[in-house]
Amino acid sequence: MGETTLVSGQAVIKISGLCKSYKKKLAVDTVALTVKRGEIYGLIGPDGAGKSSLMKTIAGVMSFEQGSLEVFDVNVDSEAAAEKIKGRLGFMPQGLGLNLYGDLSVEENIDFFAQLRQVSPQQLAERKEKLLTMTWLDKFRDRPMKNLSGGMKQKLGLICTLIHEPELVILDEPTTGVDPISRRNFWAILAELLREHGITALISTAYMDEAARFHRLSLMFNGQILTSGEPDVICQQAQGYLVQLTAEPQLEALKLLKVRYPQIETIGSRIRVFVNNISPDEALKAVSGQLIGVEIKNIQVFDTYLEDAFINLLRKDPLADQSIKEAIIPCFDNPLPDNQGIAIEAKQLTRDFGKFRSVDHINFSVRQGEIFGLLGANGAGKTTAIKMLTGILPPSSGEGTVAGADMRFAGQLIKERIGYMSQAFSLYHDLTVMENIRLYASIYGINRKIIKQRLAWVMQIAGLAGVSGQLAGSLPMGIRQRLALGCALVHQPVVLFLDEPTSGVDPVGRRHFWDILVHLARVEHVAILVTTHYMSEAERCDHLALMHAGRVIADDSPANMIQALQNEAGQMLKITTDSPSEALSCLEQANIKGSGLYGRHIQLLALDTETVENQIRVLLEKHSIKLISLEARPPTLEDVFVYRVLELENRDQA
Amino acid sequence: MNLTRVWAVAYKEWREILRDRLFFTMAFMLPTVIFLLLGYGISFDVEKIPFAALDQDRTAMSRDFLHRFIDSRYFDYKGDVSSDRYLDPLLAHSDIRFAIIIPPRFQERLLAGQSASVQSLIDGVFPYRAEVAKGYVSAIIANFNAQSLARHFGAQLGISREQALIQVSPVRLESRYLYNQALRSQWSMSSGLVMLVLMVTPPFLTALGVVREKENGSIYNIYASSITRSEFLLGKFLTYLLISCLNILILWWLVIKIFGTPFKGDPIFFYAASVIYVICTAGAGLLVSLVVRTQVAAVMLTLVISFVPAWLFSGLLVPIQSMPSAPKIESHLFPTLYYLRITWGSFLKGLGWAELWFDVAALILYAIILWVIAFLNFHKRPAE
Repeated sequence: MGETTLVSGQAVIKISGLCKSYKKKLAVDTVALTVKRGEIYGLIGPDGAGKSSLMKTIAGVMSFEQGSLEVFDVNVDSEAAAEKIKGRLGFMPQGLGLNLYGDLSVEENIDFFAQLRQVSPQQLAERKEKLLTMTWLDKFRDRPMKNLSGGMKQKLGLICTLIHEPELVILDEPTTGVDPISRRNFWAILAELLREHGITALISTAYMDEAARFHRLSLMFNGQILTSGEPDVICQQAQGYLVQLTAEPQLEALKLLKVRYPQIETIGSRIRVFVNNISPDEALKAVSGQLIGVEIKNIQVFDTYLEDAFINLLRKDPLADQSIKEAIIPCFDNPLPDNQGIAIEAKQLTRDFGKFRSVDHINFSVRQGEIFGLLGANGAGKTTAIKMLTGILPPSSGEGTVAGADMRFAGQLIKERIGYMSQAFSLYHDLTVMENIRLYASIYGINRKIIKQRLAWVMQIAGLAGVSGQLAGSLPMGIRQRLALGCALVHQPVVLFLDEPTSGVDPVGRRHFWDILVHLARVEHVAILVTTHYMSEAERCDHLALMHAGRVIADDSPANMIQALQNEAGQMLKITTDSPSEALSCLEQANIKGSGLYGRHIQLLALDTETVENQIRVLLEKHSIKLISLEARPPTLEDVFVYRVLELENRDQA
Repeated sequence: MNLTRVWAVAYKEWREILRDRLFFTMAFMLPTVIFLLLGYGISFDVEKIPFAALDQDRTAMSRDFLHRFIDSRYFDYKGDVSSDRYLDPLLAHSDIRFAIIIPPRFQERLLAGQSASVQSLIDGVFPYRAEVAKGYVSAIIANFNAQSLARHFGAQLGISREQALIQVSPVRLESRYLYNQALRSQWSMSSGLVMLVLMVTPPFLTALGVVREKENGSIYNIYASSITRSEFLLGKFLTYLLISCLNILILWWLVIKIFGTPFKGDPIFFYAASVIYVICTAGAGLLVSLVVRTQVAAVMLTLVISFVPAWLFSGLLVPIQSMPSAPKIESHLFPTLYYLRITWGSFLKGLGWAELWFDVAALILYAIILWVIAFLNFHKRPAE
């Protein structure tokens, strides 16, 4: 991918002044963009930013009103013109496997796409074999598409999009809702295929951490492109630093810092603040100076991540800024005492579906006031576990208790203390925000006398002021999820279950959502059990349990998990060279294990970093590959996740 | 036109239907179910009308009069009541549809040469049935009167009763019904329902087939590929045409076997005309699929645009000639009218190409218009 030779100056997509609107709503607002041949170009932005609309117009499957669009030097200004580019193009719309045919098998899906694209039978046989092997789908070729996991569906979608070897692929959020391992796997396959055939790609994503995989990218918001460029360059645009600290008492420190720094979040016991426009030293000084009367235990400065840069850019946009404004969060009517008792407990909890064991003797406990994260690939058993703990699904064996009561026999009283926001939380799209909340309030039987007050409380805690009269269906994803949370909180539960509450939500929306969660846990001492695919969210949990194939394979705090991996497998080496793919094959031949291509870099875990570093330097020199940089960093939570699961999978296969 | 791509779409569609049990059941069971429900449910033969009698005379003559009702195959005698108080609740609960009341001194008055009034109470909720019932009652009374008159004249003139009867009613009606000699409404209904079922189910399936892809997003595979509009529409349609062609045969068989309706016409002509009709109605489904986005909306709209013309404007229930001018014109705008002529002509009248070519031509024209409109409105690069 990094091969500069492949990225020639020739533009595959040329857009200027493009506008697209639905009835009165402007979805794409005067966008200009150029994608060069061989480039992997990213579109990053929240739900509703206009990414999908833009991609559809480029793919020639949707008309637009204004501006010009050229693809392969064809001016796409009519349906007839759009037909000219379609043979050279592959388009994968948004949604996990939604463009595939559920009742057809893996192989039949591929065959259909091949016939549609008039791939000759010999070519089809050859490509199918190669792609199926590469994606590890060859064992499942007869399985109906609807029975595949999310990650597998996306890989199949990719095969179907690439089967006619297009020159340009347009992939709309191919990794949303897919777990980190499948995502890494997906990206690795995509990168290899694109590189092999010199394919140009335009890809959108809601995951900021995927940005490093693009050559260039554009940040989109509200139909407009905020900024475009290489990932590193965009990060630098934020012109600031991250200060991370632990302080006692944390709440007091937060309060003091919020006055001056709006971009702030808590990660477990740590606080992370974004500080604008000064040098690292000054940033340290400024933050310390703000914390008068608070004991600072540990303080460090880091470079910004893309996510922070994105949020920072949004803050400059007055329209976006409104959605991130902090509000004073009101308290529960009857505050819980800070008693640290066990709120949720799973004891040997097991569930079978026919012969399939979805949850296999899991144990964990969540204290009152704790945010507990349940991580795992799609199909690892997270949702089933939550359903058993909320009493929706009876366990096959073992027990799940909430506030000491066995959920199999729990009465209404216990259930009224639980809030549950399911994966596909169904709000009534044709009701307004206020009507939705009122409906849930009456379902939970909130006393008529306090209902008015309670509705106001929900509006405030979920940050919904200003949208109360809007239809739920017309809200952006981020606000809709907050509304769903508000509905789950309407009876002020002391235990909260959230199943992938932020899937597909933009970073700004996710942070706002998590600020509410942190408040609920720290101030109201609500016990929160949450599942997520976002590692930046997992980091913010107090405690994590990693699930794989129905079992809990690791159970600790995020920091301890990272420490354990570091003790076991060492530091992560990030190697930047001028030709990453050649370098990768060098390393593989030299039997340096665990190396993988990550964007333009190669990453690998090494215990004895110095020895390995030297080994790599010698090796690259021998093959005359230029080493641009080589740095060691502690592993991240995603590294932990991937390492632990792969370790198990390898053991299972052995 | 590239046949590989047409085949790709048709074959994919066919396999999806085969595996989707709900859709498969719907494709083959729905026509049969609608057909049987309506075929058995709707009969315009008024027979075995339940009735009760109040005989306040209780003489030989009143019993003779009553027996003309009791013995008739059109009536079903439910019993006697002793007072007219009991008739109201029986009528109200639909235990009987009509009652006959014979007044006191019925025999005495008749023998004395005076007139006697007999009262009948008829349930008028369903006017058509009430009219028919009244017709039967009048006929029985007229017959009774004629016989009484004949007896009277016979006795006076000293001629036989038969001769007297000829004198009393010299003009007699000899009617012979053509095509459906026994006037069985089930013959005409069952064959007519083929028209209705084939108006409803092919557009239903076609609309669902296209909207399903629109709803879940797989239509983008079509939009984004180089398949042409006509290739896609043809590929989609071939599958549903095949299903409907099988359904024509199933319905045909049911009409003959279950309802005992004769088939007097040319089978090849009828099958060909039916296929043209199905192409026509499926085209209507395609139009529906272009304007709606969800499967639910597709079902609703298809039912409305197919049931209404099939029921009201086809001539199945109300003869077109007896309609007021506005609906008469509307009737000629729907294909159902022409196909009903073809069905009844083929089943009951034994007609073929020579007599029905105009109706076939009308269907062909109709199909062409629908498909052209659909084709022109299907875009691979829509505005949203």
